[in-house]
This record gives sequence, structure tokens and C-alpha cells, in this order.
Amino acid sequence: MAKSDDCVHILQGLLVFGNVVIGLCGIALTAECIYVVSNPQGPYPLLKATENSDIYAAAWIGIFVGLALFALSILGIIAVIKASRTLLMVYIILMLITFAFEMASCITAATHQDSLTPEHFLKQMLERYQKSEPGNNSDNEVTKTWDELMRQNHCCGVKGPSDWQEYTSAFRDTHSDADYPWPRTCCVLDAKGLPVNLDGCKLGVPGYYNSNGCYDAISGPVNAHAWGVAWFGFAILCWTFCVLLGTMFYWSGIEY
Amino acid sequence: LPTPPARLPYVPQVPPMALLGKVTATTFALERPLCVFDGHADASDAVWLAVAFANASAAFRNPQSRADVPPYKQLPTARSYMTLETAAAAYSCSAPSPPVLRVGGDTACRDQGRQDPCNGPLPSPGPYRVKFLLMGCRGPKAETRWSEPILLRTALSPSAIDPGPARRGSAVVVIASILASLGAVLATAVLGALGAKVWGSLCPQRLGTGSFIRRSYRTHHIPPALPPPPGCGCSPPGLCLSAPRAPAPCQ
Repeated sequence: MAKSDDCVHILQGLLVFGNVVIGLCGIALTAECIYVVSNPQGPYPLLKATENSDIYAAAWIGIFVGLALFALSILGIIAVIKASRTLLMVYIILMLITFAFEMASCITAATHQDSLTPEHFLKQMLERYQKSEPGNNSDNEVTKTWDELMRQNHCCGVKGPSDWQEYTSAFRDTHSDADYPWPRTCCVLDAKGLPVNLDGCKLGVPGYYNSNGCYDAISGPVNAHAWGVAWFGFAILCWTFCVLLGTMFYWSGIEY
Repeated sequence: LPTPPARLPYVPQVPPMALLGKVTATTFALERPLCVFDGHADASDAVWLAVAFANASAAFRNPQSRADVPPYKQLPTARSYMTLETAAAAYSCSAPSPPVLRVGGDTACRDQGRQDPCNGPLPSPGPYRVKFLLMGCRGPKAETRWSEPILLRTALSPSAIDPGPARRGSAVVVIASILASLGAVLATAVLGALGAKVWGSLCPQRLGTGSFIRRSYRTHHIPPALPPPPGCGCSPPGLCLSAPRAPAPCQ
């Protein structure tokens, strides 16, 4: 019976090790999702104003899943050492529920990040930036966040100032093309917030207006956050799958 | 009979340098006609810009005096107008000036309807042709050639934009399919294990002969109970099950 005992001890050791890794990964997932949600420099204001914030919903789920994984890993270690059939079944079922939630979070983050194309932002910006009805609060938010984004990153539009020339927009309805080929925020501004050379900005003279688009400034952080949530969660789930299979095998071998 | 104006070979054109706003939906830029009118212009002369629809440029007649200049607001009916009245000295070779002119940049004169030459925004995409006209006190003195047709921008509606991704990213497909299959395997395994347990408890056949894991038992050593010796009463006390008999005298 010594060989069988050795095998049992090896299996127990592996399961304990697997649960330790799950616990550590759970803490890391929680920390990463808290960072994603609370990062003030990120694109969250714009995504929230335009109702594109599913990635942040996925991150919120990730916070709670991470804490659940940590707690369940402790339960799992105790259950494996005590070889208690009841505790192990409770552990397996709770882990399955957590697995399902994390699966939803990963797929949401990956799918949503895929849908944030330049055309998506372009259409929303053209339809909502500087929309003239003052009653709609969310359009004011869109205008404020776009202005903030353009001022901070010295960029204009999604692909460039020509966005405002190629398409009609809510902005174009209230601002004539001759006076405002593109919004004033696209001009190079001085310390007081006024254009350095207004005629140069209207003509598009290099140096007096911001010629690059804001899409890179948005998509860089969005991609980093989304892949952080989606791929890290995916890796944790693959490891959890193996540990759960081992735990079920262990459970089926315990006598009543 | 007034002398016909001198025809200068200069052709007005949109500046070739890279300016994003040189042609918009209602304005366009032109190169300044520097040095073109030297030798023809006096100090009191003015250079005008004549703008006409491309198909109406052949029918344009130079105005004979300043009072006959077609104004901006007649553009839709007369199909042409004249604007940007500038002193000829501003276009001389030695004049320091910005290198481009912007046609259509003045929205104030359009809104207020003043009678002065108005450089208002152009109402339609055109195409337009332009020429410069040097007007003196007695009428036109020189003119440039007509430019090539200038077509302004037409903007599309944003509803023409398709916001969806060109194709679903492969990473999403990978994540979704692998996770779904892992979840299905786990769910099947748990259901199978629970089902086997329920089956085993309904039809008990073996008592744990398949298990290989023993719980750790902590056993207390309990000595086996000794039967009471016959005839000597109760030993140890309290273990008798029947009334003790009187001890027989030992012999």
C-alpha cells in the first residue's frame, strides 16, 4: 500500500500547489482590474460618455472573481488536506460558478474591444459632438470629453481634421464651414486657450493646427486594458480547468 | 471707345503646397498674384477677383466701372460676382504679405448684407473659375486668364459610415471557443460524478472497494471487555448483568 499512499500524497501535493497558484492569480486579477477601473489617464471618461463601457463591466466582474478565487483556493487547500468529500464537492461547485462568471467577463472584454473600431468612434463623434439641443446631458458629456481628449493629446477628430470636412455632423449644423472648417480645439492653443494663429488654423497651415487623429490615443489604452482583462482571465481559467479536473478525480477516489 | 483690357498670361491657381484647408465645402484658397500687375497698375488702381460658375465663365463681361461690379448676393442669378477688392500695391513684387488668399472666408458680410464687396462663403460646390481683373478709374485695364475649374468638397452623411469591424477578430473566436469547450467539459464531469454518486447510493453494490484514499483515523485503544470470572462475584464492579450470588466458601 506504500506506493498507493505515495501516489495519493503526490496528488494532494499537486492539488495544493494548484490551489496556491489559483489564489495568487486571483489576487493579481483583482489588483489588475482595480487598476483598469480606476486609472484616471485612461479612456474611461470617453467610453462612459458614449455608452461603450462594457470593458469596464468586465473589469468589475474581474475584481469580484479574483477575490472569489482567492477564498476558494483556501477552501480547496483545506478540503484536499482533510480529504473531506463534502468540502470538496462544495469547492467544486463554487469554483464552477466562478468559472462561469470569469468566462463571461473574458468573452465580454474580448468581443467589446473588437468592436471599438475607428469608424465606431467617428460615427459617434460626428453625431454627438457639439450637438445643439442642451437638454440631453450625455451629449454635453461627449463634447466635454472630446474637447479634453483633443486638448490633452494635441490631436483632432478620430482620423484627423479632415473628418470634419469629409462628413456632415452635428457640429457642422451649428458652425459654418467657412468659420470653422474644424473645431477650435483642433487649433494649436496658447496658454489662455485661444488659437495661436486663427487664419493659419483655418487654412490648415502646418504648425497652427493639430493634424493627427485621436484614435491612437484612445485605442492604445483600451487595447491594453481589454487584453489585460481578457487574456489574463483566459490563462487563469485554463489553469483552473486542470486543477478542477484533478480535484474531481481526487474526490471520486475518497471513500465514503 | 475704351481700349480692351490687356490679357496677362498669368493663370490663377489653388496653391500647390500642402494645406489641409485649401479647399473646403464653401471656401478655397488662391495663390497671391505677386508681380503680375507690375507695369500695368497705377497707385490708385484696384485688383478684383471675378468668380463665376465654370459653365458661365465664357459669358462673363467685364464691368466698365466700379458701379457695374456684380455683387456677391447676385451670384445665384447672375452666375458670377466680383470680390476681394485690393489695392494694386498689395500685389507688387516687393510687398510682404501672406502667400495665399482665402475666397469665401467672411461670414459677417453675408449675414449682414452689406453692399461693399463681400467675400462671402460660396453657396454650392461649383465648380468655379476665377480670374483677376485690374480696374482703373476708367474701367478695366488688365485681366488674367481664367483658372482651371475649382471643385469644392461635398460632405457625406455620417449614416454612411459602417461602424462594425471588417471581420470578427480571430482572438475573440479562440477565447470564446476554448472557454466554452472547457466549461462544457467541466460541467459534464461534475454532472457525471454526481450522477455516479447518486447511482451508487441507490444501488449499493460494494462498500468502497474502489476507493484508494483512506481518511486518517485516530484510534483510541479500548481493551477488550473480559468476561466476569464465575463464582467470585462482580469484578470489576458494576459490570454484572445479573444479581450477584453469595460467595461459596472456598474449600
